Amino acid sequence: MRFTIRKCTCIQDASVTQVYMLPMIPPSAPPPIGTHLRTADIAVAGLVLGIVVLAMWNILANMSAAGISPGFDFLWQEAGFDVSEALIPYQPSDSYARVILAGLLNTVFLASICLVVSTLVGVAFGLISVGPSPVGRAVAMAYVELFRNLPKLLVLLVLYVVAVNGLPHVRQAISLGPIYLSNRSVAFPVIIFGEGAWIPFAAALAVVAIAACRKYLRRRSAEAHDNSRTERVIIAAALVLLPVLTMLIFGVRIDVSVPELKGFDFSGGGRLSTQFLVIVMTLGLYHGAQIAEVVRGGLKAIPVGQTEAAAALGLKRRQTVRFVILPQVLRLILPPMNNQYVNLIKNTSIAIAVGYSDLMSVSGTIINQTFKPLEMMLITMGLYLGLCACLTTLTNRYHARLTKREGR
Amino acid sequence: MKVLLTVAATMTAALAAIPAHAGPVMDEIVSSDKVICLVNPNSPGFSVADSEGVFHGFNTDFCRMAAAAILGDAEKADMRGVGFSDALKTLVAGGGHMASRSITQTGTRDADPGLSFVVTTFYDGQGFMVPTSLGVNSARELGGATICAEDGSTTLMNIADWFTDQDIEYRLENIADKTARLEAFFSGKCDVYASDITALFSDRLLSNAPLDYKILPEVISAEPLTLVTRPDKTFETVLFWAFQVMLNADHFGINSTNIDEVVATLPDQPKAIYRLFADDSATVDMARNLGIPEDWAYQVIKQVGSYSEVFDRNLGRKTVFGVELNDTSNALTRDGGQMFAYPIR
Repeated sequence: MRFTIRKCTCIQDASVTQVYMLPMIPPSAPPPIGTHLRTADIAVAGLVLGIVVLAMWNILANMSAAGISPGFDFLWQEAGFDVSEALIPYQPSDSYARVILAGLLNTVFLASICLVVSTLVGVAFGLISVGPSPVGRAVAMAYVELFRNLPKLLVLLVLYVVAVNGLPHVRQAISLGPIYLSNRSVAFPVIIFGEGAWIPFAAALAVVAIAACRKYLRRRSAEAHDNSRTERVIIAAALVLLPVLTMLIFGVRIDVSVPELKGFDFSGGGRLSTQFLVIVMTLGLYHGAQIAEVVRGGLKAIPVGQTEAAAALGLKRRQTVRFVILPQVLRLILPPMNNQYVNLIKNTSIAIAVGYSDLMSVSGTIINQTFKPLEMMLITMGLYLGLCACLTTLTNRYHARLTKREGR
Repeated sequence: MKVLLTVAATMTAALAAIPAHAGPVMDEIVSSDKVICLVNPNSPGFSVADSEGVFHGFNTDFCRMAAAAILGDAEKADMRGVGFSDALKTLVAGGGHMASRSITQTGTRDADPGLSFVVTTFYDGQGFMVPTSLGVNSARELGGATICAEDGSTTLMNIADWFTDQDIEYRLENIADKTARLEAFFSGKCDVYASDITALFSDRLLSNAPLDYKILPEVISAEPLTLVTRPDKTFETVLFWAFQVMLNADHFGINSTNIDEVVATLPDQPKAIYRLFADDSATVDMARNLGIPEDWAYQVIKQVGSYSEVFDRNLGRKTVFGVELNDTSNALTRDGGQMFAYPIR
């Protein structure tokens, strides 16, 4: 809470102390962790281990009986099929391993965008649903009820069919300046860096690294104030000037590639496919509805007394939200939010229905070509598991930090 | 790691059903008194479910052929609509006895010990369909075009191969859901729809204006669509020869309507026909070795029909597809096709 001291200039010193003393909802105390194993624990662990060993033995025995030997050598063979879109250069003559990577990156990209969109939608509707406007509350409720009660695949297919039929053909694309919208894609200009582009990027990265180091060191030395304003200005200036300077010195070219209708489709520029946008919309709305409920629950869980106490202290509405409500809500909703995010990552696999080459899609095609279902399913499950585990670890860590801070 | 292993444990449930050695599929069919046959969930002409959920079409008739030969009753074929990506997996996992759903026989698929490719029921090839308004007459003019194709199928490989060989750029839309795929094509999101020629003919009918679309002359792949079973030598033999009976019937002009007449006058028939249907015929010897009803050849023709009968009934002149059997590779070899009737003796 140290930032309240500096930010709340409206409050007299005496009341600042009051802010400190404002009773927070105590973070739920972790259950006592036992260090010694009980017999029951050992029995359960042994049972699980036994089942796992038996299962593995059974799989391998069945496979060898059927003459199948599990192996991952096929990963280095030529894939021979194309994907709808890829973030890395990929062509059919590349290996299965590379197409898995391309699919994984598509999944990660899709999940990240969906994550941001669903959070924004969810928080917005969550706030509206506890807001003062009865119309707003009704709209929010209708939205939540609609989207959490419809199967997401159905929503996806409906939106897809509407999008491909509703948006104009590529030859009649809607033009918004250099941005073209058609039922195939949104085509937009992109900046292309010439040779040696890594130098300005490296320079920018160096600035960020130095700033982060300084901050870290200062935190370790337990100095209780943040970067000063002048220091921030210097960092910002360096972040802009250094890359520009190096670019001029080394003569790195910058070009803008503008989409152009050529033959069947737009070429040049960047593009986001219709299916990508439709999936983002579907999952954004679907998980947005659920996140709205999580946020609403979090907000409702904060006793009115908190707001009243903050008001009594002279905190303005915005300050109340920023320094009293939000920190507590965040701590409460983080675990259910994590649950939403993990679900969202897995739900991106519906993308296969409308032709977005995600991890699930390439994995399915590989199974059909190589007929290595066990290996590919293990790889696919491992990757999804890894993605979700990473996210959970991060949120758990953040949650622990929040809890610790509030608990002080 | 523990989670991974638990996952593996769950998979065992499915995999444990795989028999240690090929053989029991036939026993399973006989004891359960039905042939579980995986077919396309929705492919006009090949397999479409009626209002009662029973599948009808060219592919489904080979499920009925199996049931007629083994159980003496074509109606004991238990047809289940399964998407392409899942059909082979389902079969390997023991979720069916056979599949008759336009599966291309390829070397690597056949090399898989969990699957047996038995006999090709349809010679197909992959082609392209475009809107007539596009003004394209050859697939070679498709540089830069967007192509819609089914996700996970050999279509994707063929497209990649052909366009790489021709050195033509293209963009792929690999869409798993059929409705989404067709909507994408009919709405112009894709310029081209790639699939097996027969599928193009049938999918074209799903548009509001089938005549606005045309099929380009290039056939870029060989697609021998083949019956697939779980490995079982006996079962495979029955399927293979039941199919040969259907081809032989065509060769001698026998079909479901005249079979009774033919059987009634067996002594007057040519030797080859006698060997097919007589009490002391080769088919009866086969039946004893295979453990199937002795009149299996008769039942196949009586209940299902000859090959050309099945073809004409589902895809021929009198259907909306209007395909003439002898214009395709599926005619008998004597009529210029690839269907070679093996001798039964």
